[in-house]
Order: sequence, then C-alpha cells, then structure tokens
Amino acid sequence: MEFITDYVMFWQDEYQSIMTYTSEHLLISFVVIVLSILVTVPLAVYMTKMKNDKIKSLIFNIANIFQTIPTIALLAIMIPLLGIGFAPAVTALFLYALLPLLRNTYTGIKSIDPSIVEAAKGMGFTTMGRLFKIELPAALPYVMSGIRVTTVYIISWTTLAALIGAGGLGDLILAGIGYNDQYMIFTGTLLAIVIALLLDLAFGKLEKKYTNA
Amino acid sequence: MKRFINSSVFALLIILLAACGTSASSEGGEVFEYGAQKNTDPKIMGQILKLLVEDQTDHEVNITEDMPASPQVMGGIDRGDFDFATLYSGEVYNNHFDEDQVEYSTDPEATLEQAQELFGERYDMKWYDSIGFINQYSIAVKEDFAADNNITTMTDLGEYANNMILGTDNSWIERDNDGYEGYQEAYGYSFEEARGMDVALMYEGIANDELDVVTAYTVDPQIIEYDLKILEDDQKFFPPYEASLVARNEVIDEYPEVADILDSLVGSISTEEMTQMMHEVDINKRDAAEVAKEFATEKGWIE
Repeated sequence: MEFITDYVMFWQDEYQSIMTYTSEHLLISFVVIVLSILVTVPLAVYMTKMKNDKIKSLIFNIANIFQTIPTIALLAIMIPLLGIGFAPAVTALFLYALLPLLRNTYTGIKSIDPSIVEAAKGMGFTTMGRLFKIELPAALPYVMSGIRVTTVYIISWTTLAALIGAGGLGDLILAGIGYNDQYMIFTGTLLAIVIALLLDLAFGKLEKKYTNA
Repeated sequence: MKRFINSSVFALLIILLAACGTSASSEGGEVFEYGAQKNTDPKIMGQILKLLVEDQTDHEVNITEDMPASPQVMGGIDRGDFDFATLYSGEVYNNHFDEDQVEYSTDPEATLEQAQELFGERYDMKWYDSIGFINQYSIAVKEDFAADNNITTMTDLGEYANNMILGTDNSWIERDNDGYEGYQEAYGYSFEEARGMDVALMYEGIANDELDVVTAYTVDPQIIEYDLKILEDDQKFFPPYEASLVARNEVIDEYPEVADILDSLVGSISTEEMTQMMHEVDINKRDAAEVAKEFATEKGWIE
C-alpha cells in the first residue's frame, strides 16, 4: 500500500514534467507518422505499378539500409547536418519508419486478387479509376494494418529521441535508469504503452469506418 | 533396459549440472565476474583487474560490459551475477537510501564513508578506498569562450548563462540534490535551455557549436580532445564521485590472494592517468584490454 501512496506522491511532484515529456513524445511521433504515411503510401502504390524490377529492389534496398544503421550512429551523423533536438530526431525516426511502412503497403496492394483487377479492366475502368475505385479500397485493410504496425513501432522508437536532446518519454526512462528512480522508468514505459494502444485503437476504428463504407 | 535408460538419463543430468555450476579457469581456479557500466573507466578498471588477477593467481576474470548504469551493476552484485565492479562514492545520494539514512554532503570523505558503510551493508560487499580518479559532474565550456570572457568559475558563467544552451545527460535535469534545479538555486542563474541527451552526442554537440555549455564528467577525454574548460565549482555544489573497486565479501573472504590485488589498487590511478587511458580507448579507438596492459606494464604491476 505504501507503494501506491508513494507513486501518487511521485505523480503530484512530477506532474508537470511528465506532461511535458508526454507532449514532446506525442508531437515527435505524430510528425513522424504523418510524414512517413504521406511519403510512403503513394510511393508504395506507385511501385506496384512499376514495371522495372531493378528500381523497385533498389528502393527497398535503400529503405533496408536505413533500417540497419545503428541508432546512435545515425544520430551522431545527424548532429553536423541538423544539429540537436527535434529536427534530427524526426529525420532519424522517419528513415527508420520507411521500411516497415513501405513493405506492408506494397505487399498489401500486391495481394489483391488479380481477377478483381482484370474484371475492372474488362468493365472499362481507366488505370486511375481502377486504382481509386477498386484497388485502393480493396487494399485498405492491408495498408491500414501496415500503418498500425508502424505506428506502434514509432511510438516505441520515439523513446530514442531523448538521446539527441529532443526529449519525450525516453528522457524520463533514461533519467530513471541513471538516477535509480523506478517510478520514472515505470511511468515513462507505461505512458508509451498507453499511447501506442490508444493510437492503435483509433486507427482500428478508422479502418472499420472506411471498410464498411 | 528401462533401468539402463533411467541410469543413463541420471548420469547425463549429473554431467549437465556439473557443467552449470561454477566454471573453473583453465588453470584450475575460479572464474570471477566483473560488471562494467556503459562508460569507459569501469571497463578499463575491469581489464586492469583481470590482468592482475590472471597474472598473479590461477583465477580468471570475465568482464560483462555496457550495463546501462550503476544501479544495474549493483543489482548484478546483489544476485551474485557479478563479484567485482567499479562504483562511485557520490552514488550513495542517488535514491538508494532514505533521507534519514544518508546525509547529503559534498565533502569527499563523508561521502566515501557513507558509501562504504551503507552500500557495503546492503549488498554484503566491500567498498574499497578510492582508486584515485574522480568522475563527477562539472560544468564545461569551450576553452576559447572561457578565455575571451575571462571565465574561470561557475559563478563567472552567470553573466552569460541566459544566452547559452546547455547539453547534459538524461538524468541531470531530474536529479534532486545535485541536479539542475539545485544548481539554479546554488548559483542563482539558469541557462536559456537545458537538453538531456546521450553523453557521447553531448560532446559532439559542443564540438559542433550546437551547444554552448555541457555537464562534463571530470574524467572524460573529450574535455582535452575538444578543448573544453572545466569551470571551478566555487560554491562546492557538485558532490564527489570518487571511483572505488567493490567486491563481494564472500569472494574476498575465501580468496585472500584476490583481496590483496584489490587492496593494491587503492590510490593507484589518478584522474589524469585515467583520462589518458580513456583518450586512447574513446578517441583513438584502441582496445581497452591493450591500453590497460600497456598501463600496467608501465607501472610495473605486471612483467
């Protein structure tokens, strides 16, 4: 029971800074998610239409390479280019988010039953019409699941932003590790989980709404 | 037949159990475990201890590197995963003990005594007297900036602070006694902005002029490498972090030859010497084991 009162006290003391860390975390993740969806989803759609397999695999390879660079090295490279704080953190996380989003979206659209596409062709749809009326709606569940998976990743990866001075919940977790404060570690972790779950839930609702429509 | 299977399974189990127990060194001694934090000085100390133990006894030392921070190393000692480690006296103020147990002080002796007594009792280990080097927080700026503006103490910095961006590790802003809040009270000024980050990147940041002032650790080689100047702590704000070796009592009671080696390392390495070794490892990217060997040979500790 003492644990609970202690923890409540901790929240009272730290309320303001916890809120700052959380809002930093939300802002960074949000910008990364929006940016990566805006870039990757059209790119993946375009790639499914692409005839040249070499360019396709080149794009996947580039996205792959970004994924393999150790975080701390990528952040160190960012400092001379972008400095310290928000910009390098968002850039690094964006590069990490590319691959899962690209691959999930691409595979999603590719997995549509070809006979549906053929039928649409036979009915006289143009390429664009087919894309927006048939292929994208059919691929939406796959695209959404790609977005949902990546979003959960990004929320967890955003804890890394603390390494380059951009704050976020990672700051709270690392402060707790360095300063031997279990409450800080626990709170940072818990909030990251809650944010990830809530966003996943929201995207799930969104998906349902559009697939039913 | 059934009996045969039963007995062979039993025999296998016995062999497996024997293999899982304390592994023996190649010379028939023990294999001790040393746990090192993420920073370089505990890693070098581990290599030096390993060298001496393996040179002077039949035992071996296995080093586990990159534990996130000291509390995790202490946890390892508590579970018996580690036998030795390098810890710092000032850590006694880091939330390990209640306020009625520990009395905050920036006096080196009072700090070391409390660390020896309180940690020694809690983890049933011996906290040796200081190795000699100190790895504590301090405030550092670029040397030319300090020279141009005639800044030598932390008080001097006050005049410029509200236009300066501070880079620090992830925990300093949240620390109670010796953190940013306390600093602002003690010195009566704040910086324009204070950002927590990875320590290696913090030094990158000041080298690239992205930061104006950092909370450097006194032993870090980047201070020399990037021409930084450590400012004098004229208000005696920062508590001392004198490095000491620690060892589980069980081990030093049973192996006096190991205890002798640990004793011999008290007062043996100065801050300058450790900085020099860290410079070789962190900046010149040399192997910690090799640097430790060179140092020990130079000192005449090994042949």
